[in-house]
Amino acid sequence: MPHYIGIILDEKRLEQVKGTPVEEKIQPIFGGTLKMLVVEVPDEKSQQILKEFERARIDSRGFIEDVPVAFRRAVFEEIAKAKSLDVIDNVLQRLPEIQELAKKEAEYIPPPEIE
Amino acid sequence: MIVKTPPPHGGRLVERVVKKREIGEKMAAGCIEYDLKPTTDPKGVPIRHVYREIMSVCYGFFSPVEGSMTQNDLEGVLNERRLENGWVFPYPILFDISEEDLKSLDVKEGDRLLLKLKGQPFAVTDVEEIYKIDPLDVATRTFGTPEKNPEVVREAFNEKHPGWVIYKCMNPYVIAGKWTIVNEPKFKEPYDRFWFPPAKCREVMKNEKKWRTVIAHQTRNVPHTGHEALMKNAAYTGDIEPCHGILVNAIIGAKRKGDYPNEAILEGHEAVNKYGYIKPSRHMVTFTLWDMRYGNPIESLLHGIIRQNMGCTHHMFGRDHAAVGEYYDKFATQILWTEGIPSFGFEAPPNEVDLGLRIIPQNMAEFWYCPICQEIAYSESCGHTDAKQKFSGSFLRGMVAEGVMPPTVVMRPEVYKAIVKWWKVFNYPFVNNKYLENLDRELEIDLPPMEVPA
Repeated sequence: MPHYIGIILDEKRLEQVKGTPVEEKIQPIFGGTLKMLVVEVPDEKSQQILKEFERARIDSRGFIEDVPVAFRRAVFEEIAKAKSLDVIDNVLQRLPEIQELAKKEAEYIPPPEIE
Repeated sequence: MIVKTPPPHGGRLVERVVKKREIGEKMAAGCIEYDLKPTTDPKGVPIRHVYREIMSVCYGFFSPVEGSMTQNDLEGVLNERRLENGWVFPYPILFDISEEDLKSLDVKEGDRLLLKLKGQPFAVTDVEEIYKIDPLDVATRTFGTPEKNPEVVREAFNEKHPGWVIYKCMNPYVIAGKWTIVNEPKFKEPYDRFWFPPAKCREVMKNEKKWRTVIAHQTRNVPHTGHEALMKNAAYTGDIEPCHGILVNAIIGAKRKGDYPNEAILEGHEAVNKYGYIKPSRHMVTFTLWDMRYGNPIESLLHGIIRQNMGCTHHMFGRDHAAVGEYYDKFATQILWTEGIPSFGFEAPPNEVDLGLRIIPQNMAEFWYCPICQEIAYSESCGHTDAKQKFSGSFLRGMVAEGVMPPTVVMRPEVYKAIVKWWKVFNYPFVNNKYLENLDRELEIDLPPMEVPA
């Protein structure tokens, strides 16, 4: 059974996929207040992701969650590069680099500037 | 039928806190001293501190438990979730100690031991019994196994389950006996304004809030709008009218990595009433000190006891209550409170057995966002199941970690601001090793200096 990775699109990310075939695949959620791309992950690859990241888990929607920010960022970078959602193999090839970034991320994530 | 405030579990509230300083000093005088230590995981990360259990026992949250359990109490709890005196209680409450520390203390039954915290006298224990445990056995029997508890246990517990790890990492000796706090601690900010031990909570709800019926909301999370909908809708239960009050009771202590910091949880819930999403005359935020065990149906029993002791008439239970992973059936808690779980000692729901609980359960299904109804909908009412957009705590955590402000329909902006406030303090939005180490060092309290006469 496949699982999914949801990538939230902020304005910057939306700009990067504008005009590409990916734009049509954007899903509005929560009344259109959020926009998301959903990447399908075959079972054996989702198992690999779960093994790779200690806290990663499948939530009740079947989505792979609690993965490092670096992982999601890499998924989006590959989508923007390939202009396609078929990117999971490319992301998995980057695992050593993602793991390094995830280690740093376990200690510090910069807080957003909000009023 | 008019619902009345239930009596404390066990018939009376345990209150084992010495208020007069000179009496505390006298009780501590001449005792053998021991500095309380945290329980650590195999990597040395603090995952539990027995001081929290001492606080919750002595202030009456865990009534009728009065201290570290004797071997008979422990066996009763593990076998059928009952204390030796017959009252229902779900978890072993143990003051565990290493063989090395036990030898150096040279303590025996009948002695009084002074327990110190942050270098100051904190509590005494009157030693009733000293016995050996097998922590792995205690851990496994506490949570159950798929073979022995097939009604609700789906997977064998392992190193990924934080509650199981707490019991497995305990020391092999237990000093059983009643605890008494001899030096009353002072809570730090922001904890101080949410501290309502059972006696005080009952008084505030009755005399200040004027609530006759109160529904409890368990939390270990900052609230999203799905939680808010759960609270608002579950509170429609009551008797001849909806519940007068909603008591949020957060579990505060060491948590699993990835949960939100305690401070953000409390202030996040506070924001719900402070900014009028549920008005403060109907909503109150409190906490209990406990290093959460994530034991789904077992944890729900403890929650029922705590909130009954605090004076609540009802308790809402959602899907996957106090759960982590897929060790238990998603509806294990609701099965317990609907029909009982015989293998855990309940042939009937825990509020229908002798010496059981008297709080009324309110089992709730799910809330989701329905894009067709264009509102947060209840799963048992909304017919657009295929269109549902579920609230997922982990999805929200992912969004928060990426620095995306959740839309108002999912999380109130003031709640998000509480997350960011504490994110800036800890340089991290969630519990991590550093947070746990800092929490262990600082704790939620300070102790006033106390000179103990020789």
